[in-house]
Amino acid sequence: MKPYEIIEHTADVGLKVNGASLEELFENAAKGMFEIIAGEAFHHSSKVSESRQIQIKKAVNGSEELLVEWLSELLYIFNREEILFRKFKILRLDNSGEILGEASGQKINFSQTTLHTEIKACTFHGLKIEKNKSGFTCNIIFDV
Amino acid sequence: MSQIWQGKLEKIDDYRWRIPTSYKPGMKVPGLIYASESLISSILNDRAPEQVANVAFLPGIVKYSLAMPDIHWGYGFSIGGVAATDPERNGVISPGGVGYDINCGVRLIRSDLTLEDVKSKLQDLVNSLFNNIPCGVGSTGDIRVSDREEEQILAKGAGWAVKKGYGVKEDLEHTEDMGCMEGADPSKVSDRAYERGRRQAGTLGAGNHFLEVQIVDEIYDERIANIYGLFKGQITLMIHSGSRGFGHQVCDDYVKSMAYTLNKYHINVPDRQLACAPIDSPEGKAYLGAMRCAANYAWANRQCLMYLTREIFEKVFNKSWNSLGLHLVYDVAHNIAKMERHKVNGEEKVLCVHRKGATRAFPPGHKDIPEDYRDAGQPVIIPGDMGSYSYVLAGAQGAMEETFSSTCHGAGRCMSRSAAIKKCQGRHIDKELFNKSGIIVRAKGRSTLAEESPEAYKDITEVVDVVHGAGISKRVARMKPLGVVKG
Repeated sequence: MKPYEIIEHTADVGLKVNGASLEELFENAAKGMFEIIAGEAFHHSSKVSESRQIQIKKAVNGSEELLVEWLSELLYIFNREEILFRKFKILRLDNSGEILGEASGQKINFSQTTLHTEIKACTFHGLKIEKNKSGFTCNIIFDV
Repeated sequence: MSQIWQGKLEKIDDYRWRIPTSYKPGMKVPGLIYASESLISSILNDRAPEQVANVAFLPGIVKYSLAMPDIHWGYGFSIGGVAATDPERNGVISPGGVGYDINCGVRLIRSDLTLEDVKSKLQDLVNSLFNNIPCGVGSTGDIRVSDREEEQILAKGAGWAVKKGYGVKEDLEHTEDMGCMEGADPSKVSDRAYERGRRQAGTLGAGNHFLEVQIVDEIYDERIANIYGLFKGQITLMIHSGSRGFGHQVCDDYVKSMAYTLNKYHINVPDRQLACAPIDSPEGKAYLGAMRCAANYAWANRQCLMYLTREIFEKVFNKSWNSLGLHLVYDVAHNIAKMERHKVNGEEKVLCVHRKGATRAFPPGHKDIPEDYRDAGQPVIIPGDMGSYSYVLAGAQGAMEETFSSTCHGAGRCMSRSAAIKKCQGRHIDKELFNKSGIIVRAKGRSTLAEESPEAYKDITEVVDVVHGAGISKRVARMKPLGVVKG
């Protein structure tokens, strides 16, 4: 099964994400999101000179909300620090609302890199994490 | 693409289709879609009608969950969706009914120039606009503001920009709400939104945002065109942008926090993205206060973009913008929620009108239209895709009676971005547009051109024909693109 694939949505962009565990689902969703943002440039380099620890502690209603929190946090850091993240590791995940994760990538040099898509936000539209034989899966719609 | 929508749909007349409340238990009012026979078939290929039905669940919704002919699948609300809620009947406000790009909108600038005047300079002009107006993903602007100044932007909107010298008073008079919504409450805005807003004032953005040099190629209503200062053969400019990262953050913050108000106020909606709170609740008021800040940010942003555009014209033509006649025709918001007075069953009420991809269209005589336009109705600016036309319409009485004074906002997509990229693989959309129609296109991202290619959009003329035919706005003028700058 593919870790993630871009799915059709008339106005915006969607991702179908799979993962053997919830942790992997979260990591793959982050990869998919940054591939939407960077397009081909996502695969141009595997350099990871910048690393950020991401800690979220917030009471949430289920894993879906936690997933949106995780992706929103990454988007926020991307916008603020202009880092194109490529690698993600979830170190701790607690469904009641705690994530400890790590994201690594590279500072974006805008004179050399043209990004592909401006993601405004990660939405809750139709978001449901489902368990299947090979792990977990969900569809996420991003507003672009 | 997706399967054909199988829900209940009843044809009312040539322009109107109803989704009855019996379609889905929980719908408080019927859905009403404005579309022609041919547009409805493309609409049914999409999931948008289901979203029209979902919006009908909102507490306090009045009359109909409405959809304009450019409707397409969004998240929560469809794009092209309009819903009015009554605060006296526990009506709610939903951040999803406004969207992430709060007060995304369009402004149209006229000029005294004709094609003869710009022909030889067009390439220079488009390049200059492209090189000097910050655009593209992650773009930040030269107009940097301090914390204190940002608060002024949020409170004063376009008025802040004019005070800074980025425009004149006349610009404000020709902007919806004079470029500033009252009741903006900067204390309801998160630090993150502040931070994102500081870096992006005076930036165009990416995706479907654009700046276009156009020519008026058709006048449908001489009298109104004359009032708006438009004539055949005239060069116009159109700017499409919004509240940038500031608005995205405001919406994000409130969609998340309103997850809890659904339980608190016992609200049942079929999509989590329709999270909402009663208009008069502390949560509803907080969102309205923050949303108005974002709306004001967007008006300040479009004012700054117009200032930069005027400066570039001054350099290219070596004349002042005033002597080039670069006056603002009008600026409209198309993602917004507003408290407005409307008649419901003969009684005038203050309603919260959500317009998500829809434009306000006040009829002639309305007190909120600038005095010089009052006999004509409010100008409605409808941008098309980069290969076809844009339109100027005028608000009409029908909108006041049927759609809470709302009309369409653009062509509306009919193809997903990935499908558009696949379809355009190996093609050079910019070269095609130049060779076919002489349109000069400059874009930061190559894929933006494919995603935004004309075939990804509905035929704007069909969309405009519906709102004109249904009597919710009036066709005034049509513009053809000459040069396009995309993020």
